[in-house]
Amino acid sequence: MKNRLKVLRAMRNWSQAELGDHLDVSRQAVNAIETGKYDPSLPLAFKMARLFGLRIEEIFDDESDGGQHG
Amino acid sequence: MLNLMEAQMTDRDDADNSNARATIWIMLAALGIVMTGGAIAGYWSEMRSDGGDPLSPPGIIALALFIAIIGGLAYSIWRNAHKIKASGDPLSRREKLNNRILVGSGSLGAIIAVILSLSGRAGDGRPDVFSNAPISEPVALLLAFTVGVLLPLVSWYWHKKVIDEQEEAAYRTGTLFAMYAFWIIAPVWWLLWRGGMLPAPDGVALYLMTTFIVVIIWFWKKYR
Repeated sequence: MKNRLKVLRAMRNWSQAELGDHLDVSRQAVNAIETGKYDPSLPLAFKMARLFGLRIEEIFDDESDGGQHG
Repeated sequence: MLNLMEAQMTDRDDADNSNARATIWIMLAALGIVMTGGAIAGYWSEMRSDGGDPLSPPGIIALALFIAIIGGLAYSIWRNAHKIKASGDPLSRREKLNNRILVGSGSLGAIIAVILSLSGRAGDGRPDVFSNAPISEPVALLLAFTVGVLLPLVSWYWHKKVIDEQEEAAYRTGTLFAMYAFWIIAPVWWLLWRGGMLPAPDGVALYLMTTFIVVIIWFWKKYR
């Protein structure tokens, strides 16, 4: 699943490890999510949304719906 | 705008995604040190039981060779650890705790391997650590307590408090593959043994196989 995590992280000038500390996950987990190799659980996705002050669908893009969000 | 920013980002995290290769070398070198340590212990006890002198000229050459191998492997660990450090790859809190537990467990495993090497009396050609040779009752009780009580406690803490959901998923996948490998290979081996085509199923070999599969898939899923 595509996402904007890398961009959102860069906007705050955080390293992957720093974002991992904010989300209480490892750097590998952040890397795997950013590169689309791992889709986070719903609780972790909500945690990201709260951290960045966005809705989940503003961070993650379900490619199956063509990226169209209301 | 955001796409442009993404294209221009070259933070050091992206330069080296996981340090997986260096980590693999460190793990293999550590395993090699444990195996070589076991080989030294086995060689030493074999020489003594045969009435030979381990410190005779040929014995010294053999020991020097073993020690050189350990030295080379230790250098490899140092070099790869230095490489990881030099990459500026920062660690999150969970990873630091994770690494400490891994190093602790690895050290405990090495101690168990050395104790087994020194205690075993294998005559079936396999390394003492993995043989079915008899060991003394106190050693058996101590090691059974370590594996049967301490290992589950550390594992429970590790799964509950240390690893995150991505690593948990990597474990689940590795365990699933290992479980199916066991479910298929163990009965096939047993049936072929009953048919007189294979030697009796070996519990240690099956244990090592399932462990190997879990570790390989866990590593691949976590660091790929």
